[in-house]
Amino acid sequence: MTVDELDPLIHTPARLRIVATLAALPEGDTVSFTRLQDMIGLTPGNLITHLRKLEDAGYVDTQKTSQTAVAITPAGRAALAGYKAALLELLG
Amino acid sequence: MSYDTFGIPPVEERPEPDELDPRSAAALLDETTRRAQREFDARPPFLTLVAAFVVLIAYGSIWLSVRHQHPYAGPTHTALAVLYGTLAAWIVLVIVVLGRAGSGIGGRAARERRISSIAFAATWIAVYVFQGALHHEGVSDAIQYGIYPAAAPIIIVGGAAATWEAAREHWQFMTAAIAAVAIACAAAFTGPATVWLVIGIGLSTIVAAYALTRFALRAA
Repeated sequence: MTVDELDPLIHTPARLRIVATLAALPEGDTVSFTRLQDMIGLTPGNLITHLRKLEDAGYVDTQKTSQTAVAITPAGRAALAGYKAALLELLG
Repeated sequence: MSYDTFGIPPVEERPEPDELDPRSAAALLDETTRRAQREFDARPPFLTLVAAFVVLIAYGSIWLSVRHQHPYAGPTHTALAVLYGTLAAWIVLVIVVLGRAGSGIGGRAARERRISSIAFAATWIAVYVFQGALHHEGVSDAIQYGIYPAAAPIIIVGGAAATWEAAREHWQFMTAAIAAVAIACAAAFTGPATVWLVIGIGLSTIVAAYALTRFALRAA
């Protein structure tokens, strides 16, 4: 196992924080874009860019109702679990 | 996702300042997860610990006012003022803290929690409506102002809470709720004055133990 084998979609500081934050929500819950932005500390444009990549990979889901809600998908949780396992293996 | 989803244009992804080495990634993951769990926690341990003191103050004030009554006549107005004042302050604190934790949170699980809180509030109110029926039937003061108001809310609401938590596989809270129900049932046999003391000490101990367990798990 090498660093290059870590999931590149998660292995960046911003997206790692996004995915870890969303995974802390109970299953079935969503968080508003505004609250997520407050917690992550990215500009709206940057957050959207990262969310788009994660959504394209099927890791997160966004829904627009009265406000935009973001949630991690089962595939996203599985990817994060795989990423954690790979990190543990790398760290011995 | 599209541009229209947010109404804000996406921007070019900024280059990350540094490559993440595995150790930094693990630290960032751990720190972010802990922080997010703390911020989303709808049952923060410090609030639970405050609840233990609220129970002790509320039940303790009633016990102090009734402990020498022969025959039993019920709590004094001062004790009731302490009870309701403490309870009101507690409810305000819960609304503020949970309002902050739940800000921007939606989805199925959040809806379930809101609906369940309405069901619990209705159950709690029903306990006191039933007390009115006891009064209407001329039941003794020892029952209607002692054993029933001390034990019934814990048995009924605690039982409902245990069922709710069991359905969600929250074993720690379910165990605490069952222990509270058991203590309230046993305390009901101790008489209209002592029941307040036994439940006050027993329940506050259970709630404090639950809070300390949550603190320990969070620190682990």
